Amino acid sequence: MTTQNIIEISGVEKRFGTFVAVRDLNLELKEGEFFSLLGPSGCGKTTALRMIAGFQDHDEGTIRIGGQDMAHIPANKRPANMVFQSYAIFPHLNVGDNVAFGLRKLKLTKAGINDRVAEALEMVELGGLQSRKATELSGGQRQRVALARALVMRPKVLLLDEPLSALDKNLREAMQFEMRRLQQKLGITFVMVTHDQYEAMTMSDRIGVMFKGQLKQVDKPEVLYARPCSREVAAFIGGMNFLDAAVTGEADGKLQAQVQGFGPLTIDVNSNVAQRGPQLLAGIRPEQLEISAQKPEGYDGYLQGTVTNAAFYGENVHYHVTADGLQQPIAVSVPNYFHTVDHKQGDPVWLGVQNASVIDLGTREA
Amino acid sequence: MAGILKTEAGKGLALSAPASLYVGLLVAAPLGILVAYSFWTQTYVEIDKTLTWANYAEAATDPLVRHLMLRSIAIAGAVTAATVALAYPIAYFIAFRTHKKTLWLLLITIPFWSSYLLRVFSWKLILGFNGVMNSALLSMGIVTEPLTFLLYNEFAVVLTLAHAWAPFAILPIYVSLQKIDRSLLEAATDLGCSKLERFFRVTLPLTIPGIIAASLIIFIPTVGDYVTPSLVGGSQGKMVANLIQVQFGPANNWPLGATLSLVAMASVGFVAILFVILATALGRRIR
Ligand SMILES: Nc1ncnc2c1ncn2[C@@H]1O[C@H](COP(=O)(O)OP(=O)(O)O)[C@@H](O)[C@H]1O
Ligand SMILES: [Mg+2]
Repeated sequence: MTTQNIIEISGVEKRFGTFVAVRDLNLELKEGEFFSLLGPSGCGKTTALRMIAGFQDHDEGTIRIGGQDMAHIPANKRPANMVFQSYAIFPHLNVGDNVAFGLRKLKLTKAGINDRVAEALEMVELGGLQSRKATELSGGQRQRVALARALVMRPKVLLLDEPLSALDKNLREAMQFEMRRLQQKLGITFVMVTHDQYEAMTMSDRIGVMFKGQLKQVDKPEVLYARPCSREVAAFIGGMNFLDAAVTGEADGKLQAQVQGFGPLTIDVNSNVAQRGPQLLAGIRPEQLEISAQKPEGYDGYLQGTVTNAAFYGENVHYHVTADGLQQPIAVSVPNYFHTVDHKQGDPVWLGVQNASVIDLGTREA
Repeated sequence: MAGILKTEAGKGLALSAPASLYVGLLVAAPLGILVAYSFWTQTYVEIDKTLTWANYAEAATDPLVRHLMLRSIAIAGAVTAATVALAYPIAYFIAFRTHKKTLWLLLITIPFWSSYLLRVFSWKLILGFNGVMNSALLSMGIVTEPLTFLLYNEFAVVLTLAHAWAPFAILPIYVSLQKIDRSLLEAATDLGCSKLERFFRVTLPLTIPGIIAASLIIFIPTVGDYVTPSLVGGSQGKMVANLIQVQFGPANNWPLGATLSLVAMASVGFVAILFVILATALGRRIR
């Protein structure tokens, strides 16, 4: 056994009155893993995290940390520390005393505490700011103090509730890389809650996608993107064109299907979907489509249509293309190679797609 | 003139003018008169207006003045301590343990619906020789004769005032508790604190401003209270305000009365500032 499970959650349910905030949560997290819980606001992510931290009891199931059942272990005795969404920096203490807060409970010498505080602040690049007042910190610095204050406790698990959502875009992206680097260096398990798909994808080893209190899929970011288990997961992560398809045959892990607009295509079977029947839902990511004025060479499926919308996004250009028999225009995204928008509204265009770009999303709901 | 009113400073001045005028007439002017009187002398029929420190010398040397001043500060300190100590748990309960905050705050203010004099008299009825307390104790057979130490002493003054001041202590402490971000408390728990440690390391230091406000609101007027000690204090419970009243009344020595008032004000100010400095410093030491 190389890596052990540090957190094991099985059959956990949390109710507020009759409202079920989290239902049948099953999750195993490995030591040293960066795990993100991703989902829309109100889906129960924070509640799940707070149950692990011990701020909320669970009504059913068990939560184990390091093999130990947490049922009767209060929050202050759990081997997990938390970075709060609001950062919760103690306003009456300076930076050094904030970071030292938890250490004062341990039997350490004064010098020992000071050393660990200095080391933790160094780690989050706030070296030497011990005597800075908490009220004089910028948003990014508060975030770092919150991180240092939790990491200085050397927890087995660090829980982070939307740790970057209060920061502006540039700072957020810088912190994403920094937190990832820190996590890999320390080898601590990070469990992060976020509603930002990009944040989850750039930082995590694995992502759990949650909707309405239920964990729908747990996978590596690439797998989640390429093989979403359902329409809602596919729609939540990245852009996706949904097309009706009719299965005509199945062999060797491939589906023969007639895909709306594109004609007959061979689609890899997606083992993550729950059921599949003759009525299939096919998905194509906007950036996997080729768009061209002439019919492009070497594609497995084609569609002839008209541009209804062209938008310049900087790093790429987005088009909407309609064709007869499509309920929804097809979204296409192409990298911005030459700083030009090649197709205008009303232009006739060809779309090309490869078999491998079409995703099996299971039975289509009527 | 119209131009001045358009500037920020001008607007501020215009807005604060009525209050400034009011304060000027009703506080500064009488205070000035008081200061003037304190340097004059009362002869039998009129005021001798030659300036002299004689009144201050008398106030400084008279053992009765010192005794009453110290007793007033001690009683006010006891009232403040008792009120804050009783108010804190109530404020805590309203801030953290109930969802019916408005109802509780309303209940807290109910004593104000009756006059203060009425409430002092009620305490007299409760604590008196034939009062409610003694009747109850007698009828239950707990005592065989009425207790006399209940009324007409410092204890009665402290009890009456602590009851009267309670809302003034509860409200500022409640406000400072209410302002505490709940995630700070969770962060303290997360970092290993038990509930009690969390209280002393986070809640208490964050409510020190509320405690200081409550203490000053109670301490300052209590030192100079005149009504309560005269009604329930007896001779042991007399305070400096009673002496001042005697100077302005029966003794007819306004200059000495003015001096005593100013000395009392200065002492109160000194003690209050000392208290604020100490409490703030103490709060800073908690880590
Ligand atoms: N203490 C609570 N009492 C009642 N309902 C709650 C409580 N905490 C959360 N909820 C409800 O549970 C659901 C999930 O909340 P939360 O876990 O905070 O969602 P998320 O973090 O994913 O946005 C929400 O509908 C929320 O209103
Ligand atoms: Mg949340």
